[in-house]
Amino acid sequence: MTEPVAPDRLAAATEAPAAAKAVGSPGVLEPWEVFRQEKEGDPMRHGGSVMAPDAVLAVHYARELYGRRDESIRLWVVRRADVHQLEDPDLLQPPLDRSYRKPGGYVMRDKLGAAREQAGTTKPKANRG
Amino acid sequence: MNASPAAGLLPATRNALALLLLAMADDEFVIGFSDSEWTGIAPILEEDVAMSSLAQDEIGHARALYELLAEVVADGRDADAIAYDRPPTGYYHARLLDHPRGDWAQTIARRYLYDTADAVRLEALAGSSFAPLAALVGKIRREERYHLMHVSTWLDRLALAGGESRRRLLDALERLGPDASTVLAPLPSETALLMAGIVAASAAEQEAGWRAAIGPTFERLGLPMPPPVSAPETARSSHSSAFERLHDEFTSVRRIDPAATW
Repeated sequence: MTEPVAPDRLAAATEAPAAAKAVGSPGVLEPWEVFRQEKEGDPMRHGGSVMAPDAVLAVHYARELYGRRDESIRLWVVRRADVHQLEDPDLLQPPLDRSYRKPGGYVMRDKLGAAREQAGTTKPKANRG
Repeated sequence: MNASPAAGLLPATRNALALLLLAMADDEFVIGFSDSEWTGIAPILEEDVAMSSLAQDEIGHARALYELLAEVVADGRDADAIAYDRPPTGYYHARLLDHPRGDWAQTIARRYLYDTADAVRLEALAGSSFAPLAALVGKIRREERYHLMHVSTWLDRLALAGGESRRRLLDALERLGPDASTVLAPLPSETALLMAGIVAASAAEQEAGWRAAIGPTFERLGLPMPPPVSAPETARSSHSSAFERLHDEFTSVRRIDPAATW
């Protein structure tokens, strides 16, 4: 259900009978993305997607597929068409070396030591929690 | 083993309570099994999971009610024995549930009629003087809330889509309508239940409440209200051949080896 569905396949699977079409409300299925929270304080994480004709059934189906076994305390359902996507490699994976932007080259230990000495404090003990 | 939770009840009250529990448990058991026939063949995958989940909920409610019934009658039978070891004529579900699942419109129409009636029945038991039943009903109602939401949204869609959807829904309501209120038909033991405070409202009051609850929806959707029940005295007996086939199916594994442990 997480794979994008080709529009023609989708249309074939949801073709309403001619008579129903005539009055004009055959529920056409479309994908909805489902986010779920496992416990209070956790981030909402993408769980997967469902096919549904509208938000009401999308919420019901999200409940059945991502929440019926007590695995979620909150669900968000978003129409996939409402998600704005960026996957342009020129913007996300530029070709030139950008390592100089990363902080990995700095050694902070000496600077922190000097700052502590100046402030008269000591290094905090490691958290053994 | 603990004493029966019904030990303090008068024999007549206890028998009346047992009949009520049997009626409710059989209703949930039969609709659960019948609707589970959609597993694998529902209109879309998501609905397949949803309908199967609803059907499983009903089996869960049936199990809890059979367990309570087993404690009340305390005759040595457990929930499985009560659920599976009776001939078709020994079941006490409402005639509405004797219909086969039919097409999708019939399944939705029946679920709607049953779930709305069941909601009224459960409401009348929420403050039951028989505390174990009141506690169980509290839990069941929390799940039935979602069932009602789901079936209501489907009823709307079938009724408003026009064309074949609406035609099939109307056909289903015509078949099921006369049997709809069998779910709320008075039990022979009703007086004892009311006197003991086990049930808060009579069958007649429950049926009036049910009609008032579904009336606005039927009017908004332009659907015909179910007529008064025909032959209320046989509302829970003389079952159909469709039920006999379902019974044959749902008892088939049990009959192979009733003593098997799982």
